[in-house]
Amino acid sequence: MNGKITALIAGALAILATGLLISGVSPMEATKTLFQGSLGSLGAFSGTLKETAPLLILGLGVYIALKAGLFNIGVEGQFLVGATLAATVGLRVQGPVGILLSILVACLGGMLWALPAGLIKAYRNGHEVITTIMMNYVAGRFTDFLVQGPLKAAGSQEASTADLATDTRIPALINSGAFELGWSICVGVIGVIMLWFWMRKTVAGYELQAVGANPTASKFAGISAKKIQVWAMSLSGGIAGIAGAFQVLAYEGRFYQGFSPGYGFDALGVALLAGNSAIGLIPASLLFGILAKGGVSLQANGVPKGITSVVLGAMILVAASIRFRSVKSGD
Amino acid sequence: MTFAVELLGISKHFGAVAALDNVSLSVEKGTIHALVGENGAGKTTLMRVLYGALQPDSGEVKLDDQPHTFKNSKDAIQHGIGMVSQHYGIIPALTCLQNLILGAEGGPIVKVSEAKKRADELAKRMGFEFDWDSDAETLSPAGAQKLEILKLLWRNAKVMILDEPTAMLSPSDSEALFASLRKLVDEGATVILVTHRLPEVMDHCKTVTVLRGGKLISSHPVSEVTDRSLAELIVGGSLVEPPVIEPVRDLGIALDISKIVVKDDRRHDVLKGLDLQVKRGEVVGIAGVDGSGQRELFQALLGVRKIDSGSVSIDDQEVTNWSSAKRLQFGLRLIAEDRHEEGVIEDWSLEDNAILGLQRLEPIQKSLFISTPDRHKWAEVVAEKFSTKHGGLNQPMRTLSGGNQQRFVAARALEMSPKLILAFQPARGLDLNGTADVYAAIREKCKAGASALVVSFDLDELLIHCDRIVAMNRGELRQPKPEEARDRQAIGRLMVGAQ
Repeated sequence: MNGKITALIAGALAILATGLLISGVSPMEATKTLFQGSLGSLGAFSGTLKETAPLLILGLGVYIALKAGLFNIGVEGQFLVGATLAATVGLRVQGPVGILLSILVACLGGMLWALPAGLIKAYRNGHEVITTIMMNYVAGRFTDFLVQGPLKAAGSQEASTADLATDTRIPALINSGAFELGWSICVGVIGVIMLWFWMRKTVAGYELQAVGANPTASKFAGISAKKIQVWAMSLSGGIAGIAGAFQVLAYEGRFYQGFSPGYGFDALGVALLAGNSAIGLIPASLLFGILAKGGVSLQANGVPKGITSVVLGAMILVAASIRFRSVKSGD
Repeated sequence: MTFAVELLGISKHFGAVAALDNVSLSVEKGTIHALVGENGAGKTTLMRVLYGALQPDSGEVKLDDQPHTFKNSKDAIQHGIGMVSQHYGIIPALTCLQNLILGAEGGPIVKVSEAKKRADELAKRMGFEFDWDSDAETLSPAGAQKLEILKLLWRNAKVMILDEPTAMLSPSDSEALFASLRKLVDEGATVILVTHRLPEVMDHCKTVTVLRGGKLISSHPVSEVTDRSLAELIVGGSLVEPPVIEPVRDLGIALDISKIVVKDDRRHDVLKGLDLQVKRGEVVGIAGVDGSGQRELFQALLGVRKIDSGSVSIDDQEVTNWSSAKRLQFGLRLIAEDRHEEGVIEDWSLEDNAILGLQRLEPIQKSLFISTPDRHKWAEVVAEKFSTKHGGLNQPMRTLSGGNQQRFVAARALEMSPKLILAFQPARGLDLNGTADVYAAIREKCKAGASALVVSFDLDELLIHCDRIVAMNRGELRQPKPEEARDRQAIGRLMVGAQ
């Protein structure tokens, strides 16, 4: 799998180069800009990690559901619900207690937002892709409404909550001025390692993966597939909610309209690229982070930022087709 | 002697494996020709070559003395060669008529009345009766089999290949099938019968060809062979002796099913107050045509299908409302009917599959965790029990052949202290000696205090291996009279609901 990921990255870069040539920019120059802008300095790398953090945690959420055989497209909505709740709680309860309470409430909110999709899938066989997409729309519009009205900061020009007090924010773990390492990325990495261990070593992890691989065989092996589907979907939503809380508490300090640039959708790509091991989430999210951060530098040099999305799209297609081939050749 | 079909010197390799090595087969026109051999002997491959679904590496196919190369099965059917495979190609949602003509409608617009007229003529010729407008899902297995044969006649097949046609039929339905096949043969058609049921060969076929390991072993008129000599040719050595059935000592009741009512997937009562007792140490076989309620009974016993009323006790412990996880922990073990869907996870390694269903049992589970060394040791035990051929315990399950998967799944159910073994076609896909091995292992566990309930669609298999046989028909169990307890005909009658 690692060899394949390397090949994918090379392929993606080739596509990027071709695209740049067509738009009349020197590929070498642009690639240099991309990497300098994302990895070239401690400051740039800090920015890359900041972009990576929400993608890593959200990717983790998508990955758990994926392993139980569910495609949770709803992490975007669960992320927004978590972020709104975290900002709301954080503005009312301050200090470390406020931080913990915000995270907890955001997690519960994300779980509840995902729960209907899990229940409908398990007990009514309604496809989770459809229900989670629908819940995304509801979450998007509903949080827009809240931040335009009830939650809008008094006297604010834009649709935004007030800023959190400094003592209700999560400080950086390391901040040397030039380099900043946030708590979010650490939480993400620890979460990935815990999940990896849980999947490999525990009976519950084994049963969850069995449901994902073959629900009928799981049923005959004494596993309650329906319960596990509901739990996996809720857990996935809870993790997305936590990602929302960290985005508010560690980076943004508030919730506003247009809070997510589509992290929830990029996270689908992260989880798909991660492959068979949860550890794969780390390089996959970092790759997304590099392209996102580097894309900003490209834009500053007159290259449309969208080129990086094209690269990601191409890579996901290639990854999906590699997977498809390995399924076919198994027959 | 004129041959309808001749296959001369056929060889076919898959990678480095020779599936067929210089095999020849000559089928006399107007006869039933049996093709026998163990799983993997090359029977199906040879038939697929004849049917045009596979191209041989070398060799020649002759039809009425003319060499032919069939590009595909459509080409073959146009030349009058048709095959009914073991899994019927009937689409349940279509009507019988639609199934009959599917793919051979004779034009873009179906002339229903003309089609029905011809369908009636064909059915009458064979002595079958069909309600052409009813949905095919209402057909019994025997009805579906008949429809498959009519499908070949509809396409003017002159050579019919039937792959294990009686696997799902009751003895009386099988007799009726052979009566119709004789009729066809008398009219000049030719039938190639692929089977593992030797009595069928002895009673109904004129010639028998034996394959083993992709090679032609012999081709004889049936009059020159016996049951026993044929079986030894198939196995290529001596047979495992069948078990001596001794009376079971009375050690109490291990499984007590009392008046259970269970619904099928369409919410109809399929088991209407079923009773059954199995003694400790006893191997009880349930004979019956597929779809008589065996599936629902097993699912209810395992706890994956709701029991509406009645009770089930195992070793005097009522388990009616227990989850399947709890039942498995208590000592219930299952050899599932549908191995691919219910028994294994094909993408997973053998080692991961070895604990499927046992994942919450000692010593596999240690508090919240799976004990990896114990899992590995256990997987080795499972693979060795029936000598599963595999390329490493870390290889995916799908790399195993069907027979080897079955060995693995059977060992998994038998080797971890079972109390009650539920075995649905435990010898599915196994050769004669493999079958004997699995049943011997079930018997050994029962001698050590377990009990077993076995479902098979092959009555002969149950007669050889079980202590006692009950017949199942439309969700009801019938005990044969004591003096007819091992009488094939009597049990066969009970299977179809006759007295």
